[in-house]
Amino acid sequence: MALLTLDQVSVAYDNQTILKDFSLELEKGKLLSLLGPSGCGKTTTLRLIAGFLEAKQGKFLFGGKDYTRVPVNKRNFGFVFQSYALFPHLSVYDNVAFGLRMRKVKDRDVSERVMRMLEVVNLNGFEKRFPQELSGGQRQRVAIARALVIEPDLLLFDEPLSNLDANLRVNMRVEIRRIQQELGITTLYVSHDQEECFSISDQVAIMNKGIVEQLDRPETIFKYPATEFVARFIGFHNFIEFDERSDAGDAISLKVGGRLFTATANPGTVRPGARKGAIRPDDLIVSGDTGQEAANALPGMIKVSTYLGRSYQYVVETELGDFTANQEMETPYFSGQRVNLIFPQDKLVLVE
Amino acid sequence: MKKSAVYWLLLPGFVFLAAFMVIPIVLTIGSTFVQENAFTLDGYLHFFKDPYFLKILLTTLQVSVVTTLVCVVLGFPTAYYISRKAPRRKGILLALAIFPLLTSPVVRSFSWMIILGRKGLINNALVGLGLIDQPLDILYTPAAMMIGLTHLFLPLMIISLVGVLENIDQDLLKAAQSLGASRFTAFRRVVFPLAVPGLVIGAVLVFVGSLTAYTTPALLGGKQRVIATFLYQNAMTLNDWYLASVIAAIMIAITFIVVGVMNRMAKTLNPKG
Repeated sequence: MALLTLDQVSVAYDNQTILKDFSLELEKGKLLSLLGPSGCGKTTTLRLIAGFLEAKQGKFLFGGKDYTRVPVNKRNFGFVFQSYALFPHLSVYDNVAFGLRMRKVKDRDVSERVMRMLEVVNLNGFEKRFPQELSGGQRQRVAIARALVIEPDLLLFDEPLSNLDANLRVNMRVEIRRIQQELGITTLYVSHDQEECFSISDQVAIMNKGIVEQLDRPETIFKYPATEFVARFIGFHNFIEFDERSDAGDAISLKVGGRLFTATANPGTVRPGARKGAIRPDDLIVSGDTGQEAANALPGMIKVSTYLGRSYQYVVETELGDFTANQEMETPYFSGQRVNLIFPQDKLVLVE
Repeated sequence: MKKSAVYWLLLPGFVFLAAFMVIPIVLTIGSTFVQENAFTLDGYLHFFKDPYFLKILLTTLQVSVVTTLVCVVLGFPTAYYISRKAPRRKGILLALAIFPLLTSPVVRSFSWMIILGRKGLINNALVGLGLIDQPLDILYTPAAMMIGLTHLFLPLMIISLVGVLENIDQDLLKAAQSLGASRFTAFRRVVFPLAVPGLVIGAVLVFVGSLTAYTTPALLGGKQRVIATFLYQNAMTLNDWYLASVIAAIMIAITFIVVGVMNRMAKTLNPKG
């Protein structure tokens, strides 16, 4: 059974509905990311679970108990803020000790637990410093230590890395994943950065306008997006709206205009009724050979050619609209050149 | 502009302050230690031995301390409320809060006379309701001075506090709560310490203002003297400029001591403020 369950909750502020009949489950020890553009409701979901917001309708269950009306300070959840929210008037030690003192832990145990936690986040020796004397990454680690030292039942991250520079971001996300797995702590992580979410999560929920578009393992989402929104969000730039679809065993035949395409039956194409094809620019092949009719090919003309470093990016004009394709090659095609776009059978997915 | 050139901008203000404030103060204080061309502490010994003078000093300190405390108690919740409002609202509320500062102290004090007098609003109401038989003596007591001074200086406390409170990140309160603090504890352990710098500034302004106020105590205090009215009396009525200088020096000394003590307290409450 899931440790955390949101059951059909609705949240609104200023008469604006942010979440409606929203449901979510999370299992013990797992890290789930909520990923989506700003305004999709991911932060609202996190604040609802933390207890900073109250649900208008629905239930929030945690460990089998009804937490819907439990106040923030009785939930025993650790929260890491985007702004870190370290207490500026307290030293690193006192910041981390804050939650333990609230729990009336004995001074000797406080000191032992604080020092152990500072070791976990690699900040031993910093306990006498004040937040404004630390770098962004160090502050973030204090914030994590402060949230972890209370041994929370659930750890909540609100865009914790967005105020850090790119290199530090990569290091910190590895750190976060390491600590999370080391302590086996159930975690909910909110971000708008796809790479960040995919790299650290057991599961990712892609959200849009207050609903979950897809919840799955990152690998599955990456290969087999369920909806057009998800596909676009994770880098599928090319879409074809097919007129007809007929499934026959391992192959799915698709028709648009007079053209026939085939897709391999796989988790990305099984969605019954889905007739919108999607493919990544990296998977689309641009062939200079226009002589014969190849399978899954679409003739077109190079409209724009740009150099990406490792590959060239082409915008190809066809009778079904423009397609974007990336291709590694020595001598690039020139603008206006006639080409064939090849859609590999196993790379074409069907989304809703 | 060259870096050193910037300092020239300070010159006019510096010259003005030196010529009309620092030098006169130094001369005034210096003069209290000299009588008939010899060093002496007579003026101070005389002052601190006379029970009448001491009573005036005590009354003044009492009025100032109570006024400051009342301003803290009334000002903090008000300032906290104002600091949480959207900018437009905040502007309106602040303008309302500082309104007493914009009225003439004479007019303000006369209004209080009408309210506090033996036949004033409060006494009439209390007698009328049958709560008391004889009207209370409020006007011309230290209490009347405290009321008048609180009315006058509360805005200074509110402005100082709003200044620090509006800069406290709301996430800090949430963080404290998520770590197990109740709303009250979060306020006590996080908001209050962070507000201490503003509290000290406000308290110093109110205290020093009350200590040196003249019009309000003169009009509402009746025969009750405070240092400022006593100083005026010595200088203008009795023409005793030497005693007036001693009193002025004592006022300055008290001000410095209070500012020093308050800063000390602030340091212990909020070491990084």
